[in-house]
Amino acid sequence: MLQVFQLLVNGVMAGAILAVPAIGFNIVFAVLQISNFSIAALIAVGAYAGYTANVLLGLPPLLAILAAFLISGAAGVASDRLALRPLRGYGAIAVAIASLALNMVLENIVRFIFGNDVRSLDVPMMRDWIFEGIHVGPQAVFNFLVAIAAMVALFSLLSFTTVGRAMRAVADNPTLANIKGIDPEKMARLAVFLGMGMAGIAGVLLALDTAVDPTIGMRVVLSVFAAAVLGGLGSIPGAVVGGLLIGLAEQLSTLVVPVAYSSAIGFAAIILALLLFPRGILGDR
Amino acid sequence: MTLAASSGRARAAMAGSIRIGALLPLTGAGGPFGPSMAALHKQIVDQVNAAGGIEGQRVEYSFEDDQTNPDAAVLGVRKLIDVNKVCAVMGLWSSGVAAPTLPICAENKVVMVAIAASDSLALQKHDGYFFRSNVDVGQQGEAIGNWALKQGGKSLFGLLAQNPFSEPMRLGLVNTIQPKGMKAETIVYDGRRTDFRAEVGQALQAKPDILFLGGYPQDSIIIMKEVFRAGYGGKIVGTGTCVTQQFLDGVGKQVSEGIYTVRPSSAVGSPAYKNLQKLTGKTDLDTNVCQSYDQINLVLLAIAQAKQATGTAVRDNMRKIGDPNGEKVDNVLDGLKLIAAGKSINYEGAASPCKFTPTGNLVSAIFETLRVADGKLTPG
Repeated sequence: MLQVFQLLVNGVMAGAILAVPAIGFNIVFAVLQISNFSIAALIAVGAYAGYTANVLLGLPPLLAILAAFLISGAAGVASDRLALRPLRGYGAIAVAIASLALNMVLENIVRFIFGNDVRSLDVPMMRDWIFEGIHVGPQAVFNFLVAIAAMVALFSLLSFTTVGRAMRAVADNPTLANIKGIDPEKMARLAVFLGMGMAGIAGVLLALDTAVDPTIGMRVVLSVFAAAVLGGLGSIPGAVVGGLLIGLAEQLSTLVVPVAYSSAIGFAAIILALLLFPRGILGDR
Repeated sequence: MTLAASSGRARAAMAGSIRIGALLPLTGAGGPFGPSMAALHKQIVDQVNAAGGIEGQRVEYSFEDDQTNPDAAVLGVRKLIDVNKVCAVMGLWSSGVAAPTLPICAENKVVMVAIAASDSLALQKHDGYFFRSNVDVGQQGEAIGNWALKQGGKSLFGLLAQNPFSEPMRLGLVNTIQPKGMKAETIVYDGRRTDFRAEVGQALQAKPDILFLGGYPQDSIIIMKEVFRAGYGGKIVGTGTCVTQQFLDGVGKQVSEGIYTVRPSSAVGSPAYKNLQKLTGKTDLDTNVCQSYDQINLVLLAIAQAKQATGTAVRDNMRKIGDPNGEKVDNVLDGLKLIAAGKSINYEGAASPCKFTPTGNLVSAIFETLRVADGKLTPG
């Protein structure tokens, strides 16, 4: 039973981190109705931006997270403008395929600048806290709280500000929003900035807990995509639910499935979601 | 078949230049190692040519960049065989590169002398055209098992990354320690993930005396951080592939202190090693350089022994130049002189004694045990 509780704790911690880029993926999908798979490389961009801020410039982790948000967001907007926007007229599939190519280009730019070596952020290594036999890592708790804070901030922006309401209006009906004087293109840029900025935050959170290398985004992108699909493409609350469910499923599955196959949980979740909830658990499209 | 036979004849005689080649990782993951291997090969070929070649024929050396990539490797080996007409291909640092190119070499009766460590290579059908200058993974598992037995613990838990090495490594380890009464448990994990809490939890729940890390630096760094955070107090040992400087830099001094590695070593202090130190002007020699030295010396001496520059002749004479009753040789020039004088030789290399089993593996290997102290590997 102790093992189950431990896996539940681990799953919630991991799921909260997964939810951050899943929200990023879904906010872009909601406003532009495209799947932007370059989110994997932008997670890596965020991780390296955080590394640069923290290790090379000596900034504390919270400022490194802010830097990652800004740089990944800006890189997302620039790459979208150069590589994806010109293809929007050719349909969502063309853009999705182009985003895969863009992902490779961005990842290799990261390799070119930083090389292939694995690097670690400059944070003290702390032993786990142990409560009644359950291990909880201080770094994992910090990351969990940052992930929650990032999600709350984004929810607040979308729910309580004029710009957030405008973005939601474009997501609901871009033509009607345009008639009401909202510039859909401006909202699209903002959605990409926020979405890819969230990916950047996830990159630093992963880096703080593990290590940084150019494939860091590719190694989590399946779980991120599974979380987005399971929760419902385009749904922000859905991404949170999806992230937590995937995090929990990946951990709890180790009770019955050899750990070597735990990555398959993402695939299984996508298949199940498409069979049982074709629009995702909280999907509205 | 006809094509292979005719290309074999084209390479058959000593009438023209002696053509040998290498498939080296000049770029990609093996990129740090390939250039020094190529430079050493060329240096030795220049020495041999300056001394009059073999049987009066010049040695022509060609090499291709395999990019540490199987696709590029297949193109590269085809060029070496079809265009450069080589009778032997050396280098082959990565198992991913060696696996698809070995059948091409064997079909064309071209010898492959590889560094690649995957056990499956020697088990492929290669008609004797495969030789490995490195220690195969199973032997590495045995060496780590023997180290674990010496520590006197009762149980070991291994965390192995899912790759072609994991099963032979596991078998080598488990078959060494279990018959001696030490309990061995292992799990194989997907090294492409970023979260290994479940794996580490499973390992530490078994309360092992020794924890064995059998992955690549990338995943092992994350695992080691988790192990440290969980407060594990037993001994930790990793493979040479895992406990690298990159791993040590990645986990930091605090976490890496006291970790052991048991890894294949070069024949440090041997005459061949000392000769290579003089040749390169370096005191600390990387195993890849030592193996490259052995690879080219073996191929050239086998050609001289056979008096034929064909793949089949190299294959059939590779073991003859390691005659235990022959005169000991540590460099190609001395070996060539002795062979020309009709004497039997016993080549002993800079990386290993260079004696091969029927499947092309090394008969015996040299291992070293190192311990991390203050972020550096020190003799353990």
